[in-house]
Amino acid sequence: MNAAPDHLSGVEQSGATDDSLQHVHEHLLHHKPEKPHGYSATPLLLLGLMCTVVFFGSIYLAHYSARFDPLAYNENAKPSSGKIEPPVVTPAMLGRRVYNNTCITCHQTNGQGLAGVYPPLAGSDWAQGSEERIIRIVLHGLNGPLTVSGKEISSAMAPLGTVLKDDQIANALTYVRQEWGNNAPEVKPETVARIRAETASRTQPWTAPELLKLGN
Amino acid sequence: MNSPAQPNRSEQMEIDASAKWPVLVLFGSAVVWLILGGALQLIAAIQLHTPSFLADCEWFTHGRVAPAAQNALVYGWGFNSALGFGLWLMARLSFASLRHGGWLIVAAKFWNLGVLLGVAGIMTGASTSFELLEMPRFVTLLLLGSYGLMGAWLVTTFTLRNTENTYASQWYLFGAVFSFPWLYTLAQVMLFTAPVRGTLQAVVDAWYVSGLYGLGFVPVALAAAYYFLPKILGRPVANYYLAPTAFWWLFFATAFTGGSRLIGGPVPAWLATTGAVANFFLIVPVVIIALNLFGTLRGAATGSVTVRFIRWSLFAFLAASLLNFALSLRGFAITAQFTLITALRDWLLLYGCFSTAMFGAAYFIVPRLTGHAWRSSALITAHLGATALGLLLITATLGWAGWEQGRMLNHAATSFTDITKALTPWFTAYSVGLMLLTIGHLAFFVNFFWSLGARCPVTGDATPAVFRAPPAMEVPSA
Repeated sequence: MNAAPDHLSGVEQSGATDDSLQHVHEHLLHHKPEKPHGYSATPLLLLGLMCTVVFFGSIYLAHYSARFDPLAYNENAKPSSGKIEPPVVTPAMLGRRVYNNTCITCHQTNGQGLAGVYPPLAGSDWAQGSEERIIRIVLHGLNGPLTVSGKEISSAMAPLGTVLKDDQIANALTYVRQEWGNNAPEVKPETVARIRAETASRTQPWTAPELLKLGN
Repeated sequence: MNSPAQPNRSEQMEIDASAKWPVLVLFGSAVVWLILGGALQLIAAIQLHTPSFLADCEWFTHGRVAPAAQNALVYGWGFNSALGFGLWLMARLSFASLRHGGWLIVAAKFWNLGVLLGVAGIMTGASTSFELLEMPRFVTLLLLGSYGLMGAWLVTTFTLRNTENTYASQWYLFGAVFSFPWLYTLAQVMLFTAPVRGTLQAVVDAWYVSGLYGLGFVPVALAAAYYFLPKILGRPVANYYLAPTAFWWLFFATAFTGGSRLIGGPVPAWLATTGAVANFFLIVPVVIIALNLFGTLRGAATGSVTVRFIRWSLFAFLAASLLNFALSLRGFAITAQFTLITALRDWLLLYGCFSTAMFGAAYFIVPRLTGHAWRSSALITAHLGATALGLLLITATLGWAGWEQGRMLNHAATSFTDITKALTPWFTAYSVGLMLLTIGHLAFFVNFFWSLGARCPVTGDATPAVFRAPPAMEVPSA
């Protein structure tokens, strides 16, 4: 028999009955341990901790909850103002649609036309030149021959003044003047309306010499 | 019930006698599941560094054996031991014997049948895809029904108590016993009966897992700590007047922590944030519990095995709470979330905090039920030593490896293969840690059944407390 108490063998000793455990703790539940000297800081510190946790937790919740938006998956998401930004539409973008419906058959997607038959628009001195001339061409058509970027073209273009409205003509021309490396100022619908009014009596297509007289 | 009874030793022995067979059956089943689940867990861990291990056997492929191990440990070991301990302690503190204990044994048998079918279902490939709810659906009602019977016994024992006072351990047990049916039925309905859609399924599952650990197992471990420390040391809980505050804060805050498991995951931001805030709130109860229990432990001669196990449990509780808090901080979570560190947090809760508390409880309770001592003190020492070493090794391993893993995962140029290769030595160390724990489990297993079989009278000065008038606990002066 081992003389030293072997605490591991046998049974755990208990230091108190369940009854005294209940009674002592029932008493302690309502009585804080008194400090004979000084003041117990524990309750105050715990109150401070509780306030800190609630304060910090609320700030954190407000900051990272993305306003409880069920569709916000990023806690740093900025609040959406509710207004939807309208997409930016330029005259050239509208003109592209007119061009694709009307002009593309002869002048082609790349604006190169067809050598000797349909004049090129890309890099063209006419297209980037005086808007007075090209508006008239679209309104009333053109009868060849003419020289575009130093090349002879002999062909005719149908009048489109009755098919297209002023803003459609202006947008299509703006598209042509700013696409494929072209760089000329846009054409205003007001300009088209003015020229349409000035040339209202015209029934025949224009010819190159007539247009060249208009100057810039 | 209404007369403030003054229970004497014979009444206490009567309570222990009424609890004997139900609690021994539950503890016995728990120990068997601990061995089985531990073995499965070890297999799953070995496969992480030696992928060919048992890979040709369909039942033991990693995708099956890992959830099977987790379910066996949670529902097999965890629930059996928690209910065994809970029923005994509730009877003791309520000064009421467990009536009609035969029903409890029947319920325990059905529970274990359910767990067995469930784990076998997982291993044959019938598992679901939700963490800790992997068991096939046919065991759901079996588990709920048999749990309901045992839970009802615990609640009834509390309501029929022969004392006007209630103690902290009773509050925690009472809370824990209600949380499981609530969590389990809601999770079953929302995931299987009428499944919610998409992301919400992951949210429900995270809520269930965090609730099961935080509202089921941790309170049981705390009930053990609140009971055994004053009981064995013979000194009252320090600052006990704060304990009710801790109890309420713990239960309310923990119920909201589920979302924090999904920080950084594809869920609405407010869910994760609410979970993080709930984890901040948990600081208060953790501080109070630490004041209560470490205050009781301070300066005490801790020769007792139970107290030593409980002390490990408390350290693990603190470590897990600290990790939980750190994982709620986005700066830490950006590296640590979804790595081995989150696995470490769960393991610390289930094993470090809960299981060690149950070991301690078993060493105290079983001799009082059987009336004779543990067969071998060497095996107890082995269990304690293996548990301590295993806890330290696994905590260090998973912590360090998880941090490395997170760093590498955040580094886009590092390939996944390189990460796996870099982690291999850490996984090997993890396996070694699990082997250590298994040695402890085997010692516990052998000692438990050996003590049941052999009539081993208590000798020498290690007189069992149950045969002796214990000293009354004194209210400290002033």
